[in-house]
Amino acid sequence: MKKQKIILSLFLSASLMIATLAAFAEVGPTYAIIHCTVVPVNGPPVENGVIIIRDGLIESVGVFGDITIPDDAEVIEAGEMYAYPGLISAHTNLLLEPSSPPSQTQREASSSQLPDEEPGWQKSELMAFEKLLIKTTTIEDLYKAGITTVLVAPEQNIFAGQSVILNLRGENKEAMVLKQPFALHINFVTARGEYPSSLMGTMALLRQSFLDTEHYFLYKEQFAKSPSGLKRPEHNPFLESLLPYVIKKDPIIFNCANIEDIKRAIRLIQEFKLNGTISGANEAWRVVDWIKKANLPLLVSLDYRPPNMSKYVRQGDALKKEAEENIYPANAANLHKNGVKFALTSLGLSKSADVLKNLRTVIKSGFPEDEALKAMTIYPAEYLGIKNLVGSLEPGKIANVVLTTGKIFDEKTVVQKIFVDGLSFEVKQPPKKAESTSLDISGKWKAVVDSPMGAMDMTIEFIQDGSNITGSFTSEMGKWNITDGILNGKELTFSISANIMGESMSMEFSGTVDNESLEGNISVQGENAKLKATKIPNGGVEENLL
Amino acid sequence: MKNKLIGLVLCLILIGLSNVSYGQDLLIKNGTLLTVTKGEIPNGDILIINGVIKQIGSNIQAPEGIQVVDATGKFVIPGIIDSHTHIALSGTNEGSVAITSEVDMRDVLNAEDTGILTALSGGVTMIHTMHGSANPIAGENITLKMKWGKASEELIVHEADRTLKFALGENPKRSSSTGSSTSPRYPQTRMGVNAIIRREFKKAQNYMEQWDRYEKLKAMKKPPQNLIPPRRDLRLEPLVALLRGEIVARCHAYQADEMIEFINLSKEFGFKIACFEHAWEGYKIAKEIVANNIGISVFADSWAYKMEASQGIAYNAGFCADQGILVSINSDSGERIRRLFNDAAKTMKYGGLSENEALRLITLNPAIQLGVDNIVGSLEVGKHGDIAIFHEHPLSAYTRCEMTIIEGEIYFDREQYLNEREELEKKEKETAKNKEGGGQ
Repeated sequence: MKKQKIILSLFLSASLMIATLAAFAEVGPTYAIIHCTVVPVNGPPVENGVIIIRDGLIESVGVFGDITIPDDAEVIEAGEMYAYPGLISAHTNLLLEPSSPPSQTQREASSSQLPDEEPGWQKSELMAFEKLLIKTTTIEDLYKAGITTVLVAPEQNIFAGQSVILNLRGENKEAMVLKQPFALHINFVTARGEYPSSLMGTMALLRQSFLDTEHYFLYKEQFAKSPSGLKRPEHNPFLESLLPYVIKKDPIIFNCANIEDIKRAIRLIQEFKLNGTISGANEAWRVVDWIKKANLPLLVSLDYRPPNMSKYVRQGDALKKEAEENIYPANAANLHKNGVKFALTSLGLSKSADVLKNLRTVIKSGFPEDEALKAMTIYPAEYLGIKNLVGSLEPGKIANVVLTTGKIFDEKTVVQKIFVDGLSFEVKQPPKKAESTSLDISGKWKAVVDSPMGAMDMTIEFIQDGSNITGSFTSEMGKWNITDGILNGKELTFSISANIMGESMSMEFSGTVDNESLEGNISVQGENAKLKATKIPNGGVEENLL
Repeated sequence: MKNKLIGLVLCLILIGLSNVSYGQDLLIKNGTLLTVTKGEIPNGDILIINGVIKQIGSNIQAPEGIQVVDATGKFVIPGIIDSHTHIALSGTNEGSVAITSEVDMRDVLNAEDTGILTALSGGVTMIHTMHGSANPIAGENITLKMKWGKASEELIVHEADRTLKFALGENPKRSSSTGSSTSPRYPQTRMGVNAIIRREFKKAQNYMEQWDRYEKLKAMKKPPQNLIPPRRDLRLEPLVALLRGEIVARCHAYQADEMIEFINLSKEFGFKIACFEHAWEGYKIAKEIVANNIGISVFADSWAYKMEASQGIAYNAGFCADQGILVSINSDSGERIRRLFNDAAKTMKYGGLSENEALRLITLNPAIQLGVDNIVGSLEVGKHGDIAIFHEHPLSAYTRCEMTIIEGEIYFDREQYLNEREELEKKEKETAKNKEGGGQ
């Protein structure tokens, strides 16, 4: 009986294996995108161009007429459209499982400082790849921004963990990997309630960790060469995880929130001869001499809000406003004027829709369009070591292609269609005018949100004008406005502009509604929570009377 | 090839030159100069070239094109030096553990702290900004010039002594941290504080010997097989530097008994104490402090704010100075830093110091404590052009600082600053108005 079972399971796994192999060997479709303006990035734009995609790769790029359209190709008529290589965001914290806050018992345990307990800052072994949580909505959002390739990095703790580079096809995370792991990520933050609780402690800890890794390596090497007279080295998982980065010089990405962080990173990189990259860096123009001298890969975030310690935000509202609207968005332009090369990333942007919006602002502040395009394609490809795979429309490269309704940085342009690994994905367009609806949802609703932090009670008040919905969202955290709401049949979408502990955040709701109940998802910064609500009869008047 | 070489040499020379001429040129005319070391000069001029005082006297001829500050009717003193404060930093304490000698304030400079502006408005040109007093052995401190607007690394005074912070008494034993958020931490008593410092010095001695042994073996003609350098320990290295005399100790202490204990520790291990911080009971052991050539950096008054300060007296600074102790008045805060001259003046009333003796407490004495009296602390030819100008005598209760100059460059000009602020306020109002308009 048992034997039979084993044979059966063997048979099953074998057939599964064959199935996977078959899937692997499956030939991708062939497409011919014709009549579009091709912007290959590695060369001048081609009017009335053609791109042939075959089996996941770009086969050829050229002028319509010069290139034979293969018989087996599905022809995509793209007249008046523009074709770009898929954009690359070389640093994001999206697509990861939410890190749950430690439970009370865990917290108590950590404060008792057990000697063998792993401290909170020490997450260098954490692999972003293993924590991936691929959400279709997040990927669709990235598609809308024309992004086909991302670096996903864990975001918390001093040693945050190791990142993965993904080509955003479908939902199978294994199939998306371009590089795993790519880099070690380090933040200049502190640990709460344990060492190091201050930035100076963090710096000391970083130095000591690098020194310890060097010593660990030295000792192991020596022991391997001639063990006689040497104590057997103890296995240290933390130092093991740092070996590739400190000794082999794999890339380390330092997240730098302000000018001092940039200097701290550069000092550490030089002290320990690390293969370092500066990321975030929205004050980079203020230390342009340091940046030029260090000559490191630079990833500049499109989140150009000034940091709290900036002198521009601490000397009155007038200067602060100026900083937010003009000074900080010009970071990229200023760096460029000083001859600094860098990639732009979406790090810190909670909505991928802000990527194109912020790119446009950065361009308005004087950053040339062609540089902006390079900073989102070929430069990040170079920094991520995937220049031979992506970043331009060249024969032989991965077929990551973005079709847009106009020049990508023009105000009204939207992304129409996207190809990742030669597979075609439609990009959901925002509904322009909703159909008329027969529902009336105006009035007060009693809602419960199941968030990772636990259930929260809220009151929603909708104001309905045809299919347009506005209103408010009240919880113990305050009253937030509902904007851009659209009721389309039974489908309801709206945004909530929230303010959480002084930080403004946008949440997106989408779900279904009828006359009495409402159900759907709220997403905030890539994390989801379920929302259920029931209508309070008479618009809540009765309850108020009670 | 030759051209390239010449170019390289030229470059090197240019780099060299730009390093030498760090300051600016300035002529201060016709003020009452309180030089601190060379008496009072009425109607005096100071000529600063490349940031350094070139000439002091009367009727100095102005070199062509030089900026001139008219100090007629005003008092000109050396820039005030604060020997103990915590401004211009991102963070004060690494309070999670008791021994944190591995941390260095150099890593957390914040040149955008508006405390620098506040300091300038009180005539302060140099500070010694320190780790807090949460830990028996804290971290390395740093001496900065108040060059508001300059990059953090340009503030550092490289000539200053390296100093390591220690702390005794109520703060390191955490007698005031009784909240549930902080877990109890060893040590909890004064004897524990003393013991943990001794234990750490023992470790440091051991570590030093380990390295000495390694270096010796390595230098041998035939070093032993499998010779591996010891693990570097950043926590012990500053203590080794202290034992080797490369760093001096600055120790937060209130009571006489704990100061005596620390002096004994310094003798046991052979390290130098530059200064006791606060030293409220310094007057009780003035002889011992003088005998060990230790300075004190104190408040003028405001004692008895906690148990261990209950025996402080307003006469402490004046009395100790009179006994021959090197005394400085410190701010320990981003607020008191703008009125150190007021605090210095108090020692004239309580302690009977002369004008010049009182002025020394905030100029030359802190300079000596920081090991920079060869470049600052008095108005002398060859010292840095770090200067504060007051509209009345700096020790008058009615005085205010009008201008603060560092290395010949004006970093604070009260008149200009007030004008700028008025402009800014106008702009703020307009912004607010526009905001309202936009909302309608």
